[in-house]
Amino acid sequence: MEFNRHISRRLHEEHAATLALWGRVEQTLAAGKPDPALLRQAATMLAEEITRHFEFEEAQLFPRLAAAGEGDISALLLDEHAAIRTAARGYTALVKQDAADPALRPLALELAERLVSHVQKEEMALLPALDELLDEETDHELNAAYAAA
Amino acid sequence: MLPGAARSRLLPMSAPFRYFGAAAAFQVAAWALLLVFSHEILSFEIGLGPVFAALHLVTLGVLAMAAIGATLQLLPVATRQPVRALWAVKLVWWLLVPGTALFAWAAATYRPLVMGPSAMLVVVAFLLYGVLLSKNLLGARGMKLVVAHGWAALACLVALAATGLAMVGRYEHGWAIDHIALRQAHLVLATYGFMGLLAFGLSGFLLPMLAVASPPAAAITRGVLWIAVAALLLGASGFVLPAVALGLVAVALHVGSLERSLRARLRPALGPSFALIRVSWACLAASLVLGALMELGIAPPGAPLAFGVLLVPGWLLTFLLGVLQRILPFLASVHASTSAHGTPIISALTPAALLRLHQVLHLAALALLLAAAFAGEPLPAFAGAAAGLAGAAAFAAFVTFVILKVRHGIQPPHQPATA
Repeated sequence: MEFNRHISRRLHEEHAATLALWGRVEQTLAAGKPDPALLRQAATMLAEEITRHFEFEEAQLFPRLAAAGEGDISALLLDEHAAIRTAARGYTALVKQDAADPALRPLALELAERLVSHVQKEEMALLPALDELLDEETDHELNAAYAAA
Repeated sequence: MLPGAARSRLLPMSAPFRYFGAAAAFQVAAWALLLVFSHEILSFEIGLGPVFAALHLVTLGVLAMAAIGATLQLLPVATRQPVRALWAVKLVWWLLVPGTALFAWAAATYRPLVMGPSAMLVVVAFLLYGVLLSKNLLGARGMKLVVAHGWAALACLVALAATGLAMVGRYEHGWAIDHIALRQAHLVLATYGFMGLLAFGLSGFLLPMLAVASPPAAAITRGVLWIAVAALLLGASGFVLPAVALGLVAVALHVGSLERSLRARLRPALGPSFALIRVSWACLAASLVLGALMELGIAPPGAPLAFGVLLVPGWLLTFLLGVLQRILPFLASVHASTSAHGTPIISALTPAALLRLHQVLHLAALALLLAAAFAGEPLPAFAGAAAGLAGAAAFAAFVTFVILKVRHGIQPPHQPATA
């Protein structure tokens, strides 16, 4: 996907990394070959996702979307953040206890599906809207703020 | 979370789903009619009767119905422009459903005098939808190429309604018009025009979205649109061979560019619905080739029926069913999202086994009808109609499942996803 703003491109790159990792998780679990190291790596990445990435979007991007009349999209994405955080808490706790626990399978599959679906909506609605909403100066400020976060 | 009314680009769930529900019901009715009168399938050429009625149950009741529901919900996402007149969305449905049912009944029972008023109901529904669509397209803020496809489809819809009314005038009042030319224009405008252009336009953003991929290059999509419009103008004017040649170029570019996008997708699994979409593309190309062979007079026996099967259930219906398999659970999941209960996962709204069964039955119906057409045998026609009816019933069960799941609330923890 081609985006005009730096912040859109940066978020898009993170989305691509998220999809690649959770796609691998989904595939190994579907093949019946759970990989504890991969599940631990996914937990580490998830922690980054639900803190830095989500918090930046919630503090800096969703309010701008809502102010531009896109409150419907930001509300939906916020709901999804909440659902992903809830699922992530259970997953991370279980990975820390035992990354080979079979009980991780449904949690990991649920998270993979939630993350994919969430990325789909952000790629379809959030990033194109940001391209239109942000001017160059604001884009640079946001990009710098995200890099420093 | 903001209350539902604040989600301005998202219609209330009942608005699009009433169209999807009606489409599922009309599909069952169409295949049931074909099954009961399967002995008439092989001899069908043109004129009123049950097969003609079944054809229009599919084109008006399933294809147009679902296309209206889908565009009214999906176009606002592409155009960043909400549909403001919810009453009009509901009124279109209330005109189109009885209009289609009455038209099909009148056609099946050879009552041309009833077809006039029922066709008027359908035309008024289309005009009202045309106003809704044009208002949305006029205020569009994004996805210029989707919008351009929307305008081209709208122009086809207006011409389609005019040719349809003229043909009803011929049946009802014996108007002296070139019926064969008008019928050909009506067919081209309805299938390759209105429905085909909507399918091409929405594919450009919907299929990449489902696969999380980049849309095809704008220059290619723009080229496809221009070539397709030129092919439609030629085809509707009776210049079949040049229309087919341009149509094949448009299809090759459209499918090639989408396949290239899908290969670079971020989501590894495409899902089984893409098999239906690929079959529909093959049927579209095959319908064009067969149309050219018929024009050249070198088509095999049974070609007119095979052409109809490839074009309507093969290309348009198969494409629609493939897309609906994906977007119904997606839309339902968005509608069911609340801050109290979260967003249900899509697999909780996707009865995978039922959809696999539907896919097998639908594809079997297509294969059997094509076999019946080329072999001239009534038994595969009967079996094809039976498989189609069973597939339509499975699809109706899927739509009912999704609606009931959302209506009765899905509480977390959700069922585990099946990868």
